[in-house]
Amino acid sequence: MTNWINLILRKDLLIAFRRSSTYITPLIFFLIVITFFPLALGPNQNLLSSLAPGIIWIAALLASLLSMETIFSDDYRDGTLDSFFISLEPTFLLVLMKVAIHWLITGLPLLIAASLASLILYLPFESFLPLLLSLVLGTSFMSLLGSLGASLSLGKSAILSAIIVLPFSIPTLLMGTAVVTSAALGQDYNGFLMIMGAMLAIGIPVISLLTVEALQLNYE
Amino acid sequence: MFPNLKVENLSCVRSETTLFENLNFEVLPGQNLEIIGSNGSGKTTLLRVILGLAKQESGKLSWLNSDNNYETFRTFNCFYQGHNLAIKNLLTVYENLYMTKVSSKLTDEKIMLSLNRVGLTRSNEFAGNLSVGQRKRISIARWLLDDYKIYFIDEPFSALDNEATSLIENLIEELNDKGSSFVITGHRPSNIVANRIDI
Amino acid sequence: MGSPPLFFNWSSKIVTWLGISAFSFLLLGLYWGLILAPPDYKQGDVFRILYIHVPSAIMGESIFIFMAFCGFINVIWRAKISGMMIKSAAPIGMSFVLLTLLTGSIWGKPTWGTWWVWDARLTSTLILFFIYMALIGLHSTIDDKTKADRAVSILAIVGVAIIPVIKKSVDWWQTLHQPSTFTLTSAPSMSAEMYQPLLLCVIAFYIVFAYLLTLNLRNEVIEREKSKNWVKILLERSK
Repeated sequence: MTNWINLILRKDLLIAFRRSSTYITPLIFFLIVITFFPLALGPNQNLLSSLAPGIIWIAALLASLLSMETIFSDDYRDGTLDSFFISLEPTFLLVLMKVAIHWLITGLPLLIAASLASLILYLPFESFLPLLLSLVLGTSFMSLLGSLGASLSLGKSAILSAIIVLPFSIPTLLMGTAVVTSAALGQDYNGFLMIMGAMLAIGIPVISLLTVEALQLNYE
Repeated sequence: MFPNLKVENLSCVRSETTLFENLNFEVLPGQNLEIIGSNGSGKTTLLRVILGLAKQESGKLSWLNSDNNYETFRTFNCFYQGHNLAIKNLLTVYENLYMTKVSSKLTDEKIMLSLNRVGLTRSNEFAGNLSVGQRKRISIARWLLDDYKIYFIDEPFSALDNEATSLIENLIEELNDKGSSFVITGHRPSNIVANRIDI
Repeated sequence: MGSPPLFFNWSSKIVTWLGISAFSFLLLGLYWGLILAPPDYKQGDVFRILYIHVPSAIMGESIFIFMAFCGFINVIWRAKISGMMIKSAAPIGMSFVLLTLLTGSIWGKPTWGTWWVWDARLTSTLILFFIYMALIGLHSTIDDKTKADRAVSILAIVGVAIIPVIKKSVDWWQTLHQPSTFTLTSAPSMSAEMYQPLLLCVIAFYIVFAYLLTLNLRNEVIEREKSKNWVKILLERSK
């Protein structure tokens, strides 16, 4: 990792932390969505307990989407993205850096919020650790997909970026909920985690390269 | 080693209109080039084509006699300042300078020296709180952070008062003496010694 | 072939012939399937909707693969025509998917009593519908049309890679939640009398697609190149 990539990491993290809304807003949105389910469906413990995996996962997907718009737009507007393309560093590495930072800012706090959510939705205890594991893998993949969506719709509405990304996140949703549900039933969930891990492993090189391609569309 | 830039018969088309055609020029050590044109005439585009950020319609770009080689360009130590200054509002003046891409490690001394040179004293001020002129000075301070061979600056003299203008003119002269070249754009000719192209 | 005026000239020669064969094949296939073929011993005449439902489903998926292929060519070789093909093919593909969903519903109601069921096939088809919409939506928001073509090329490539993953996971999801597998498109044993008209319908639908694609593409070419000389000359001549 060259010096400059180091600098970019520090720069983006600094900026993200100084604008607290970057990491607070997705959290709050997540918790509000979670709260709406008991309000809409009734506070029956058994019902909520059985629905908890799905509810938490849907809320996580939506919260993740909310924050994806800013991943490239600031840098595009003030010319920093130009310097990415002029520099010697492989651009896909810089993109991955941004994805990683995005995850640190949105995905990681989500784990804490999800723990809270599992309490108030009566998630069975056995599902708790599997939930966190699935969220780690799932939200990372969502950050990756989100970067692709953001790069394709650079400068356009966030909803468009969401429409592009949501159908592609269905496998993640299905696998993620599968992990949690089978854990609650006492079944082995490692297979699902491995599938999610595989998607992430393949996604990291492939999606970042496609994202670079999409960003370069703005430089024709 | 200086990356001699040679441009031959360069033309560029955007949305059916020809921005410029058959441009020929060379940039040699210590020589400046000034691209003059009105708004939308294509001067920024020309700069970006040279840097590889935009595509040309036809023509040849060679760096140090190797053909249109984008990779070659990227190995040389060149500086680009676009119309948007790439200054982060949420970082302090000092941090904005520290985060610049340089070839050798930036020392605190170097940063403070360049800040003094451009007349910025409060290095811990957030860039977002500064005026346009002061933000431009941060950008100028970046020029001094490394031994850049060619400076590509888009509209360096816009939105500047007389004091800042002469500051830049002096700096350019100094850096010319050290062997660096400037390729700048502008609305009207400036006072620096340069070859001029009108677009 | 990659140049728009060349394509336009070439397609002018074949477009009427294409239209006629599309119409005739379609007529033949549908008549054979909807009228001539024997009724299913279990479902009676309702099953005939299969002759529209199955070809539509096949078209919905084939067209997406076609778009991804064009996208690949567009990204690597930058052939203008391949980019425009995606834009022209997308609405056709989306219509076929919509047709699949509607005919699926119509088939489902008398056969299984519901307008909709979350079986693997229909669910995947619904998701495919959303992906088509995303593609069309993305293209329409980008003003620079060449850039829009490149953007949807990338999206189509990602789509074609992830659609099998979606189908597999939805398949698995359905078996998890609905142990009784009943898919609307399963016709386990088909006699030759049922299979032959189906094949004809599938071929017919492909030709219809080719015809509609040519029409759309010709429109697209004219629209994009309307300021160029060759279009102006063409319009003069046709007056």
